[in-house]
Amino acid sequence: MSNATIVEPFGDGFVNALCPELILFAGLLLLILLPNLGRGTFRIPGTQLRLPWLLGGKRFKLSSDPRLPAWIATFTLGGAFLDVLYIFSQGLERVSIVSESGKELLLINGFSRIFELIFFGALALAAFSSMNRLQVNGIGSKISERELYNNRRQADFYILMVTCALGMSVVALAQDLFVLFIGLELASFSTYVLVAFLKESKVGVESGMKYFIVGSVASGVGLYGLSMLYLWAGSLQFSVLSAAFAESGTTALPLIGIGFVLVGFGFKVSAAPFHFAAPDAYAGATSPVAGVLATASKAMGMIGLIRMLLIIAAPESSDGSAVWLVCLGVMAAITMTWGNLAALGSDNPKRMLAYSSVAHAGYMLAALTAVGAWNWDAAVAGDASAAAVAVMTALIFHLVVLVAFKLGAFLVLSILESEGGASSLSSLGGLAKREPLLAVAMFIFMISLAGVPPMAGFLSKLLVIMGIVRIAVGDMGAEIADGGIYVLGDMHWVWWLALLMLINSAISVFYYLRVVVVMFFDEPEEGREGPLPRGWQVRVAILACVLTTVLVGVAGDSLIRLCEMAAQSLNYNW
Amino acid sequence: MQDWISMPLVGFPLVASIVLLAFVSNANESMRNRLSNPIRMATLIFSLVLLAITTGMFFQYFGNASWEGISFNNYEFTHRYTWIESLGIHWTVGLDALSFPMVWLTTFLLPVTIIATWNEKNGAVYFPIILGMGGALIGVFVALDLFMFYVFWELTLIPMFFLILMWGGADRKYASQKFFIYTFTASVIMLLGLITLYFFQDPVNPLEYAGSMTGRTFDIPTITQHALMENSNGNWYLGTNIQKVLFAMLMLGFLVKLPAVPFHTWLPDAHVQAPTGGSMLLAGVMLKMGAYGMFRLPISLFPHALEYFQLALMIIGMVSLVWGAIVCLGQTNLKKMVAYSSVSHMGVILIGIATMQPMGWAAALFMMFAHGIISPMLFAVCGAFKHHYHSMEIGAMRGMAKHSPWLATSMMFAWMASLGLPLLAGFVAELMMLIALWYFLAAEGWSVFWMVGPALVLAITAAYYLWSMQRTIFEGGDETQPPTSLNGQPVPDIASPEKLAMLILALFTIVFGVMPWIALDMMHDWTIQIFEGLILPILGDFNGGA
Repeated sequence: MSNATIVEPFGDGFVNALCPELILFAGLLLLILLPNLGRGTFRIPGTQLRLPWLLGGKRFKLSSDPRLPAWIATFTLGGAFLDVLYIFSQGLERVSIVSESGKELLLINGFSRIFELIFFGALALAAFSSMNRLQVNGIGSKISERELYNNRRQADFYILMVTCALGMSVVALAQDLFVLFIGLELASFSTYVLVAFLKESKVGVESGMKYFIVGSVASGVGLYGLSMLYLWAGSLQFSVLSAAFAESGTTALPLIGIGFVLVGFGFKVSAAPFHFAAPDAYAGATSPVAGVLATASKAMGMIGLIRMLLIIAAPESSDGSAVWLVCLGVMAAITMTWGNLAALGSDNPKRMLAYSSVAHAGYMLAALTAVGAWNWDAAVAGDASAAAVAVMTALIFHLVVLVAFKLGAFLVLSILESEGGASSLSSLGGLAKREPLLAVAMFIFMISLAGVPPMAGFLSKLLVIMGIVRIAVGDMGAEIADGGIYVLGDMHWVWWLALLMLINSAISVFYYLRVVVVMFFDEPEEGREGPLPRGWQVRVAILACVLTTVLVGVAGDSLIRLCEMAAQSLNYNW
Repeated sequence: MQDWISMPLVGFPLVASIVLLAFVSNANESMRNRLSNPIRMATLIFSLVLLAITTGMFFQYFGNASWEGISFNNYEFTHRYTWIESLGIHWTVGLDALSFPMVWLTTFLLPVTIIATWNEKNGAVYFPIILGMGGALIGVFVALDLFMFYVFWELTLIPMFFLILMWGGADRKYASQKFFIYTFTASVIMLLGLITLYFFQDPVNPLEYAGSMTGRTFDIPTITQHALMENSNGNWYLGTNIQKVLFAMLMLGFLVKLPAVPFHTWLPDAHVQAPTGGSMLLAGVMLKMGAYGMFRLPISLFPHALEYFQLALMIIGMVSLVWGAIVCLGQTNLKKMVAYSSVSHMGVILIGIATMQPMGWAAALFMMFAHGIISPMLFAVCGAFKHHYHSMEIGAMRGMAKHSPWLATSMMFAWMASLGLPLLAGFVAELMMLIALWYFLAAEGWSVFWMVGPALVLAITAAYYLWSMQRTIFEGGDETQPPTSLNGQPVPDIASPEKLAMLILALFTIVFGVMPWIALDMMHDWTIQIFEGLILPILGDFNGGA
């Protein structure tokens, strides 16, 4: 990798480098400004002269349209998404944003760009399909107070979505733990409010409160860990921390500090035992928001884990395996098993998806564990850095395609939700008769989540397992060809994580299929016989998710390469 | 050479099925009923086209593949397209004398199934699913890439799941899920075996078709070639321990699919609840995927481990054979009895493999083929029985010969074929298996005690088949007793499409019983080739394997 171009804040090249973020920023301003435009006038004191002032007053037809904020947010997030895609097609440049005092704040490379893709994609889909969720009927002058109020809330909702995207992309770019933390908090606070946004429903408020309390405790613990790391290294720069860790990382202070920070990120990825708030939050939030929590927010937490475990407490800084290897392996095993077993017993489809998202967190943690084991035995481990890149590729690929089928599943639920509460599996009953295409879409999402070919979920699971097995097997094949004698026990124990992962996906088939059976077999619930609520936006978003799931599943090569490039740019020591 | 497999045999039925399903998905009830007939005709014509292609392949009208003399690990109609280059995944298709009979069988059963279930309800959706099922099954048999093989292997679950769930019997909800979960669990273990095998390849020696990211390949011919070289150096490919473990992991997936006792419990449930068409394809082709996979992967790659596990396989085969037959005796449900008889017949295949005799392997291959023609007929009879008498119970209906002579004749014919009447296809396979077992016992010096199992089963099979025939067809004399479930309505005979399907199946049962060499020659040749190319050079003159 070539060295990064160094750019000062607001210096030359700053706008170019942070173009997607600036688009978000502009969108944010528009979201605040546009819905408030009206025929407001300003009287010059002492005269009868009224100057048009445009803010406030009776609003224009366009600016009082309740769908306006949604459109702005969709275009902003979608524009940022397309901008990142454009940047990818133009070839990436590695840009580092360094403050005057010489501190590297943000780094733009393939790794951060692909996560921006995840965040913007997920939030754009969510914003687009939320368009008809807070529907008000009145447009124009005859708008009632309550409708007006709802209209204002529309703006709030989408403002929060855009700030959430902004915070997430800061996390992706950050090269300093403190900057990362600010981004994390910006995104977290937005999601706390988004979860509790349906304040008319008791569930929404309760779950928002729960999510907020648990989340802020986790953040507090993380911040405490951060202060310990600062105490130990005197800086929160990744480069400084990483160098310090290589020198004296296995002492008590940094290990405790890192452990505390991991609690904060563990909450975000909903890894056991920090996952307890997640099912409540998903069940209480509106479905598109829950989808964002399960995809973008999880990817954000994953960045934190990757930065902490692979950059700061890097496995290459210790002989053999990383210090956190066993701890993370146990956590991965518990997380995936717990998630799946809990999902077996939940009747609420959103809770079920929440637990399945816990299980997926477990799979991703297993992949991370495998990276930690990458140079476990010099004789047989083989090309460790290539193996590490392979696992990271799998991890990133998984996070990318998760947006398609996890968010897609939530979007299908969101249609059912808008005809009144979809808190039980039976609300999906007869979906195949009511709207066959929607049922087929849900079926595709379900089997993709379960990891059945030829869907994207299968390819991502295959890649993760291949990464783990690759590290466990290493170059044993070459050694055997040279006459070496090995038995199964010579493989690294992370191989058993792959086995556990596969057994877990077999368990998970049960609850995913249950959804399919209900859709295709059961009769519709009382009061749900008629056609489903209209709304072409959410259906277009679902269609996009279905197409991505299937197309990536059957022809995923280019996306794999993109993820491989991103994985390579994560750590240039590899 | 033109690619006669990828698009014509695999892509076309899958795409046609998806297009038809998309076409009817938004149609309302009455529209669907009107569309039912054209779609049924379309799928019939499509499946006849597939049959024409494979038959043309057999008569060397398409391509000039000679199905005999293809040496081990060589394939006809081979085509390779890059699929996921970074992982070494290719779309590789090819046929040899192992897979070609299975592909022909699939294309043969498709139109027969469509004809036999001509009046299935909700046909506009049903027939495209049958067609898609056919495409997925052909994909399994033509795949020469581990990834592609696995993808199609799992893909077959989806249409079958829906066939059972949407057209099945009263307990279909339970049966479809059990079917899916059972076979999926076994195949994920197999998947881990495949991936572990993948990474045990030696990336240092330049591998053909290797992925840019991994340096290994999923290409079956390349891996087989590699394993053959390693094995014939006097070593075990990958070493003793790992070869055994991988063999066991792969075999697990195939044994569950076959199914062998004790992994067979999904089969009776799936069969009893499945609609007739689903049962016909399930028993006819899907079970054979297990035996096919055994030959294609674990046996071809790990012959040493096969020898090591020989006794275990023999025991599993014997237990399946005997247990399946004994359980049949206790069944009062006609379809369940037939399902368990399938388990018993799959035991024959396993025993044939475990003898490690060319004769035994040829018997196994021919059994796959013969059972693939006979068992659909059994299930077609069961389906017609259910359709006309609204009951599956043996004894609910007596004196069937009187008012349903067609059904009675078909039933008698199918039952006789299944119990191994000479001059019918099943007999050839069973006879060959018995001879191979004798060879094996003599060469190995094992006790003749092993013959007790098959001998016992011949008697038991005759007992349950004759008993059930006697109860349903003949008993009652002049006093026929229509089933109570009919509520006194007149008893009809089977409809003409069903008659046609029965006739076709019966005809081919006779053809392959009287002239087994049509299929047996190429199967026998394949076993000769694998023994000359793989077993003898590697295992040497073990227990007289000639």
